[in-house]
Amino acid sequence: MNGALTRRAWLTLAALGAAGAGARPTTARAQGHLANLAPEEPIAATVLRLAGGRPVKDGAALIRIEMPLIAEDGASVPIAVDVQSPMTPESHVKAIYILAEKNPRPLNVKVSLTPAAGQASMTTNLRLADSGAVRVLAEMSDGTFLTAARDVRVTVAGCAA
Amino acid sequence: MADLGRVKLAVPASVRRGEVARLRALVLHPQERVERQGGRSVERNYRFVNRVVVTYLGRDIVELEPSTAISENPTFTIPFRATETGWLKVTFFDTHGGRFEGTAEVKVT
Repeated sequence: MNGALTRRAWLTLAALGAAGAGARPTTARAQGHLANLAPEEPIAATVLRLAGGRPVKDGAALIRIEMPLIAEDGASVPIAVDVQSPMTPESHVKAIYILAEKNPRPLNVKVSLTPAAGQASMTTNLRLADSGAVRVLAEMSDGTFLTAARDVRVTVAGCAA
Repeated sequence: MADLGRVKLAVPASVRRGEVARLRALVLHPQERVERQGGRSVERNYRFVNRVVVTYLGRDIVELEPSTAISENPTFTIPFRATETGWLKVTFFDTHGGRFEGTAEVKVT
């Protein structure tokens, strides 16, 4: 018997497998299904969804976006974002969203910040599907949103999907 | 990808008390992108890092929610205000239940 699976063991395993498959989209181990991804939508819809009806103001004076003018490889485009803020408990940036206009799913990343960060800045590398605007949306602690954008030319698409 | 989940962190050798410094964090990860067939996304459980938690002196200071549109081997630079000598910890979580951690000591002078 040792090492060989009995019929009963097989049935138990099969039942467990079926239960696992049924629960798939909600378990911590299966968050990569399409339903759990940021939705496919135009960037304007993403901005509206994230702001949730709160005012979105022009933040070009406060938001600095550093990116190459021409990105040779859309698979990895460096970006540095800095939002001017005192970062005190009373007045700070709660979140920075980076959105790519030409990506089918425009939301690249959300960064949630606390005053302990000391600064509202971050850098990362983006996948960009095509030439277009990269938009930064900053959620302030008073509930308002600031936005600014940079145009980037992409030579080889990054298939960001 | 034998090295999947390897985490590298970099912090300045020392930081003056009260100053804002930057932590650089990297995880080796494929950060799978959504495949398309005939213009439609293919349904499956894509493996990518979708949550990153940064703690300093045991407190959460920054949290990130990357999507599939962050490059392979995700790299992030994160600010933190140095208040005391202690540990920074970065934990990366992926959509397949992967959990990858790195720590770095911050020396405050």
